[in-house]
Amino acid sequence: MHPILADREKLFVYLAAWLVIAILIAALVAIPGDLGWSFALAFAIPASLVYAFICLSAWWLCRVYLLQKTNVLKLLGVYAVSASLSSSLWILLCNAWVWALNQSQIPGFSGERTVGETRLLFGIGVVLYLLAVAVHYLIIAFEASREAERRTLDMRVLAQEAELRALRAQIDPHFLFNSLNSISALTAQDPAAARSMTILLSDFFRRSLQLGAMELIPLKDELGVIRNFLEIEKIRFGKRLNVAMEIEDTSQHCMVPPLLLQPLVENAIRHGIAHLVDGGTVSLRTRKENGFLTIEVRNPIDPDRPKTLGTGVGMENVRRRLQTLFDSAARMDTSTKNEMFSVEISFPAKDSVQP
Amino acid sequence: MKDRLVEHLKAIIVDDEDLARSLVREYLGASADIDIVADCANGFEAVKAITELNPDILFLDIQMPKLNGFEVLELVQHNPAVIFVTAFDEYALKAFEVHAVDYLLKPFTRERFDQALALARERLSRKEVQPLAEVLATARNKDIPLERVLVRDGSKVHVIPVGKIDYIEAQDDYIALKAEGKTHLKQQRLAELETLLEPRRFVRIHRSYILNIERLARIELYAKDSRVAILKDGTQLQVSRAGYDKLKGLL
Repeated sequence: MHPILADREKLFVYLAAWLVIAILIAALVAIPGDLGWSFALAFAIPASLVYAFICLSAWWLCRVYLLQKTNVLKLLGVYAVSASLSSSLWILLCNAWVWALNQSQIPGFSGERTVGETRLLFGIGVVLYLLAVAVHYLIIAFEASREAERRTLDMRVLAQEAELRALRAQIDPHFLFNSLNSISALTAQDPAAARSMTILLSDFFRRSLQLGAMELIPLKDELGVIRNFLEIEKIRFGKRLNVAMEIEDTSQHCMVPPLLLQPLVENAIRHGIAHLVDGGTVSLRTRKENGFLTIEVRNPIDPDRPKTLGTGVGMENVRRRLQTLFDSAARMDTSTKNEMFSVEISFPAKDSVQP
Repeated sequence: MKDRLVEHLKAIIVDDEDLARSLVREYLGASADIDIVADCANGFEAVKAITELNPDILFLDIQMPKLNGFEVLELVQHNPAVIFVTAFDEYALKAFEVHAVDYLLKPFTRERFDQALALARERLSRKEVQPLAEVLATARNKDIPLERVLVRDGSKVHVIPVGKIDYIEAQDDYIALKAEGKTHLKQQRLAELETLLEPRRFVRIHRSYILNIERLARIELYAKDSRVAILKDGTQLQVSRAGYDKLKGLL
């Protein structure tokens, strides 16, 4: 939809500007000729308003021939042709309107008047059309900047959502209550282990709270939270849960959005290991390559496991966050092969400043 | 001596987490008259142990690999006093509340545990039966159509993904599932299974048959007002008039 037509306020301002133009045109045709002001205005106001709408058509051309993406010669060509055509059409309409006024029975209007120099009027038409083109390009630039602003806002909202989601993940009822139950069991059997699990849990909560408040964190900090999380789960699942980490050294310093990987690892356990009688290995691999940070999480799955609601919500969040932060530069692929599930994400690597 | 043994109660603990089982074991240590006869880490083990050992008391976790706690109960015919133990499960908790069934929420105190145990003992002495079938029906998440049918053969459990079923036939109190050339018998009513299956994939074509429509090759007129469905493997099944209307609606 046309931005001026779509917005009543904008349309009003636009038409008001054309009224001013109408008066200028009236002056231009009235003063040198002998038309008289009333006839000049009766001609110029409708003529200008009609041309105002013709000039709106420039919007579609401006949209196709974006300023940054079209070369100058092409732009000149396109607008020379469109301006001439529009102006010619306008002159035809002007002449028709003058003819109609001449034919009318309104006192003082009938007669054999003309609007004078066609060439002058054609020139005015071309200039006005080009002005309209300029205005439309301004609107496009303005909307683009507003869109960019909206995206930053979106990004902030999503980051907040992630923070909230992370908070919810911490109080994921299964994780929390089962962990507390493990502590309860350990209290009598192995008090030292009970104490260390209490501390692991607190560390996990505290770290995710701290990191969640930041915009970007080094990968090694994120991995810290994940190791923390996995240690707790290892106490719960015992020998059913194995972890294999292959962390390429250079990747550790890449900046990542906080708690981006945590849901992936959580999924690996909840939808993978937890359904396997003998458990399995969750493997996490990170590498930096050609300016991209690639992270892969793999876990075995039971193909016959019952489907549960809520699968994929965590994944979808990760995908959305990547998209808002990196747009099309980020990639996220999932695959299930030979009872193995794997998710791989990759996005432009940005190094943290090294002390 | 023999009399004393008879008085003993047999208990089975089912939970996929070692620590969770050891906690129940620890709490049970105070009850000298309860023998823990099995310790199961998953649903398959639980079905086997319950079938073979016929326990009096069953401590049952809901979320487990292979079969969840409810599926275990669906598969066994024994009626032990069940003490449900769960960390959190929306559907299960709702079902327990609705049918006033006692349950333990992890983590629980020794007092709470003893209370649940006392209630279970009382039920056993009065031979009172818990409304387990009703709990199962309420706890079932009705938003998700059945994806697999569980069949017990002795103490062995078969998990049959619904996609592998060709058709299901009613046989007295049983249903016979035909899948991959085998026949599995299950004690269930055909009408009950019908409501659990996805109606676009499984059609009740006759009083005695539910058909997986992916297996249908063609329908032939057999006699006036009577048709037969011919499956891709050549099997012929009778189709009732109502069944034929349903099939027509879907195809």
